[in-house]
Amino acid sequence: MPSFFVSPFIPLNFRRLAEATVLVGALAVDLANTEAVGIDFNRDIRPVLSENCFQCHGPDAAKRKTGLRLDTSEGATEARDGVRAIDLADLAKSELLARITATDPDTRMPPPEANSRLTPEQVTLLSEWVKAGGEYDRHWAFKKPVRQLLPSLAANRRAWAKNAVDVFIAAKQAEASVMPSPQAAKATLLRRVSLDLTGLPPSPVQIAAFVADTSPDAFEKVVDGLLQSPHYGERLGRHWLDTARYADSDGYSHDAGRSMWPYRDWVIDATNRDVSFDRFVIEQLAGDMLPDATLPQRIATGFHRNTQINTEGGVDKEQFRVDSIFDRIATTGEVMFGLTLGCAQCHDHKFDPISQVEYYRLFAFFNNADEPRIEAPTAEVLARRAEHGARVKQLETELSALAKEDAKRKPLEASLAKLKKARPSAATTLVMAKRGKPRTTRRFVQGDFTRPAEEMQPGTPSVLHRLAQPDGDRLDFARWVADRNNPLLARVAVNRMWQHFFGRGIVQTENDFGSQGIPPTHPKLLDWLAVEFMENGWSQKQIHRLIVTSATYRQVSLRRADLERVDPYNKWLGRQARFRLDAEVVRDLALASSGLLSAKMGGPGVFPPQPEGCMDLGQHRKTWKASSGEDRFRRAAYTYRWRNTPHPALKVFDAPAGLAACTRRIRSNTPLQALTLMNDPAFVELAVGLARRLMAEADSAANRIRLGFQLCLGREPDAEELRLLTGLVESQRSEFTVQSAEAKAVVAKAKLLGQATQPAGGDTEFAAWTMAARVLLNLDETITRE
Amino acid sequence: MMNDLMGSQAQQMDLQQFTRRHFFSQCSIGLGSIALGSLLGDDLAKAARANPFQPGKPHFQPRAKNVIYMFMAGGPSQLELFDWKPELARRSGDNIPESFIRGKRFAFMNSTFKDQKKLLGPVKQFRQHGQAGMWFSDNIPHIGGIADEMTMFRTCKTNLFNHAPAKLFMNTGTGIFGRPSMGSWVTYGIGSETQSLPGFVVLHSGSRGPRGGAANWASGFLPTTYQGVPLRGSGDPILNLANPAGVSARRQRASIDAINKLNLKRLVATGDPEINTRIASYEMAYRMQSSAPELMDISGESKATLDLYGVEQGKPSYANNCLLARRLVQRGTRFVQLYHTNWDSHGGPGETLTKDFDKVTHEVDQASAALVKDLKAHGMLDDTLVIWGGEFGRTPMSEARQTAGRNHHIDAFTMWMAGGGIKPGNIVGATDEFGFGAIDQECHVHDLHATVLHQLGLDHKRLTFRFQGRDFRLTDVHGNVIQDALG
Repeated sequence: MPSFFVSPFIPLNFRRLAEATVLVGALAVDLANTEAVGIDFNRDIRPVLSENCFQCHGPDAAKRKTGLRLDTSEGATEARDGVRAIDLADLAKSELLARITATDPDTRMPPPEANSRLTPEQVTLLSEWVKAGGEYDRHWAFKKPVRQLLPSLAANRRAWAKNAVDVFIAAKQAEASVMPSPQAAKATLLRRVSLDLTGLPPSPVQIAAFVADTSPDAFEKVVDGLLQSPHYGERLGRHWLDTARYADSDGYSHDAGRSMWPYRDWVIDATNRDVSFDRFVIEQLAGDMLPDATLPQRIATGFHRNTQINTEGGVDKEQFRVDSIFDRIATTGEVMFGLTLGCAQCHDHKFDPISQVEYYRLFAFFNNADEPRIEAPTAEVLARRAEHGARVKQLETELSALAKEDAKRKPLEASLAKLKKARPSAATTLVMAKRGKPRTTRRFVQGDFTRPAEEMQPGTPSVLHRLAQPDGDRLDFARWVADRNNPLLARVAVNRMWQHFFGRGIVQTENDFGSQGIPPTHPKLLDWLAVEFMENGWSQKQIHRLIVTSATYRQVSLRRADLERVDPYNKWLGRQARFRLDAEVVRDLALASSGLLSAKMGGPGVFPPQPEGCMDLGQHRKTWKASSGEDRFRRAAYTYRWRNTPHPALKVFDAPAGLAACTRRIRSNTPLQALTLMNDPAFVELAVGLARRLMAEADSAANRIRLGFQLCLGREPDAEELRLLTGLVESQRSEFTVQSAEAKAVVAKAKLLGQATQPAGGDTEFAAWTMAARVLLNLDETITRE
Repeated sequence: MMNDLMGSQAQQMDLQQFTRRHFFSQCSIGLGSIALGSLLGDDLAKAARANPFQPGKPHFQPRAKNVIYMFMAGGPSQLELFDWKPELARRSGDNIPESFIRGKRFAFMNSTFKDQKKLLGPVKQFRQHGQAGMWFSDNIPHIGGIADEMTMFRTCKTNLFNHAPAKLFMNTGTGIFGRPSMGSWVTYGIGSETQSLPGFVVLHSGSRGPRGGAANWASGFLPTTYQGVPLRGSGDPILNLANPAGVSARRQRASIDAINKLNLKRLVATGDPEINTRIASYEMAYRMQSSAPELMDISGESKATLDLYGVEQGKPSYANNCLLARRLVQRGTRFVQLYHTNWDSHGGPGETLTKDFDKVTHEVDQASAALVKDLKAHGMLDDTLVIWGGEFGRTPMSEARQTAGRNHHIDAFTMWMAGGGIKPGNIVGATDEFGFGAIDQECHVHDLHATVLHQLGLDHKRLTFRFQGRDFRLTDVHGNVIQDALG
């Protein structure tokens, strides 16, 4: 029997899968297109050159062999000792041709010691390209996206399309001879879109209402409602918190707790308000420097204060300050550019045109910030403070009215002093602040901060759009990132949205749009969406609405034998994707189904139960006292996140620990997840809650099972499912009747939670239904979005 | 258009019919063993059945199958354990010549280690052991007793001199967060032999957990399947292993049967092989529920064995963990890592080179040696690579706190390995007269990693994973197999 498993379709052997996709992407499928449309440098040639040649003949000047550079046309056509890699005067005499086809290992390229080898297909492709003129093109991702014309479609495909998204999808499907799948059943669709947009399942009432609504825009109405739900920000905002490497502790050795939740709440709130994405970015990079910066704008700069802090004894603080800037550059690169900027920390980038000097120009923007902690009073605290201030003022007025020797003076002074001390306190949060005395930035030889070299001025990479203010500050940098001329920000953002709704981005390597990334499956759609995003005021909700109301999104996710043959990885989206829920949603769904979910939003992190001993694995044994009352049942977005000892039920379902930016979650499938859902006391108490709810809200066994299916799976059980679960309840009931001590033990748990309200049928009945509820919460379908 | 859709719906029906038939003909064999071959095409079926922990194929003939890594957290002093320096003893109290420390950086540069140049002679007595006459301090006579089994690496070198970053470096080959640990790389590369226990297990003992916590055994960008699973010394050995109150094994079985039957039905309906994996996960979880307690139950071990390790029944300890490491490897776990704290000997309270150092050496000496002897007695030492060492060593200069201690040192420190094809009775590298730096054969962390992978039949340059457009390795772009250490 197999041991630990992992999703075969997403993370398992990702490398092999990625390779296969590259191969299929670059050659098999697109080669067929090549005959029709000719060789496309970016699609067909650059990936091959990048993978096999750039390591030694690419952007990195220091490691360049024999001075030959193949990532630019100038480099490839330059005469070196009378020889040109690509000889425009006589293409057939191009040295590149001779080298890649040579049989002598001494002259053949890539050389035997390189870890790469060209396949015969790649040799043919490169040869044809050179013979056809060896034309270069700028890497697609560095060109500004332009709104693409909608492709024309045959009538049947046009009829299928509901919006522009579908037109692009259908055009690719036509090329690949793929037919779309039918629309999912209404209940499935509602559960899917609810989980995607709010991370919560629809209630049975909502399902019934949607199924009954036969108006043509029934679905659009539901979508609009979900987009307005405050739970939308808790779901989509959590994605951004992944990229921001948000957590509630310092990491490294001591992993001390930190107050950072005002930033978390800012993200959720900004997402709910649909703050335009360019502004969202500017405020997080430099909100503190905006004219008359507001408190929320300062809190937003917590984005780059989510770096870890090493407080262990004997550290060189400067070393870790520099390290946190390295982290900030790498994170900004991955999250806002889809570029591996971090690669240029020690040397010129090996594959993309980013030099080490340019890296330290970026460093200079980040180098001139102070990193303070400020008070972040909530509206409620502000109100209480105003009240407090008024009372202070009142006492002061009374005091000033008294004569110096008045006997009433002393006690009044005492109470004033006491009152002043009782000023309502506010939580703090970590932010960025402009530094009074600027630091000098120097390039670090090999990225080593003990080896400073020449002085660097702030600046941006020349391959990207121009910085408006030549010697700008962090705010100018932020505005440059969010500039409409940035070819990458909008593309990277809409790509992550796509990934959210289909399980995989249009660019599969969502954090690498550079020459080593996998090219987009639908480049025109990507650009169209990016432009649409920018032109619609950078509204994330608009793009989300556009995507989820498409016919592409509404398809069933069932496997189809014909599709598995022609498109095994579902590149052409002939069906929706079926994938496991994110860690937080796994818990939130169980909370919602059991009726225990608290709707309270925001505030300090909470402590849902976790097994004893989980905190022993960090250096200091911190306490984890499970919250009681409402806080015990809050959404997982509010669970306190220790970096070194993350909550085990979140970690086991692949929630990131905030050690580095996470732009895509892995979806593993392991026995430890099974143990968590079956045995973790936190899930068991939700099974108890669900059982109580089923017994309270439905009368017959069949109706209880129906309700359980509605609550957990969002659908009706079929006859076989009904029979299976009824059988389980019956056999458990009769066993519990005999083993009444076991029934009592199950019910004792409920009593602890104050849930055992003398259920009809007594302990035996309650225990049997708890077993059934536990099965429901453990189903693959329950923790899957179909 | 409608016709086309009907066409695909019809195909879908075929698919479901097929799966259903297949299920009913196969289900007597057992859940989760459904062959989806003709349904999904061969490649996908392969992927669907693929088990990432199935023993993988190494790059070449391996010398070792398993690894037990005794991680001495805090940085053990090589100068009080392995690297006998008579010259350091003679010149104790003198300033170290400027040429050694010029341009060097140390921890606590701005506080307790400011201008600390005074040499501190070995605090412990040394004597020679084994046929090669290797030196060991009298603090570790048992480890000295297995001198003839080990290769001692006297010139280990790392890049980072603070605990948490250095631990990360020793485990993942970099100080950057988000990279896989060695145990994750190994299980990703060659899987595991066990089908009922995790393939990469972490145990810990001592006064506190290791600094850095879960990052030390994280799988980074590799699937989380490969991350280390902490085995706990008390309570459930694996988190949530025990059934909830009122749920007997029989009741658990009935529940899993119901879950798997319903899941199987969904598999038939959707054709998603991921459900097949889910079903198998529940089966394995169930097996773990009996195999993990069986693993932890050492009542079947002889008194002689317990005495060899110094295990006191029912008391969590490093010795207990060493015994569990043998039992884990015996049951097919690929990579076991034992953390023991605290080796941080600055000289302050709880960190003296005298009483506190004696305490920690006493805690690990007997059991570390016992593990090697016991593996040998079981005929498992040839297949099991044993590694012993910390994240860095200590300076030859003294650090003046309440007592004379030693600061963190990264230029040269000692580790040892035994078994798994490592040359017995062997020393690699030599340090200068003070034990400050290597004068022969430096063994950088990357070289140690390359060597460990090599013994497992893995070429460190070929064990790669594509992430962010790059093929990442445990050894990054560095590392050479230390040939002198190979038997």
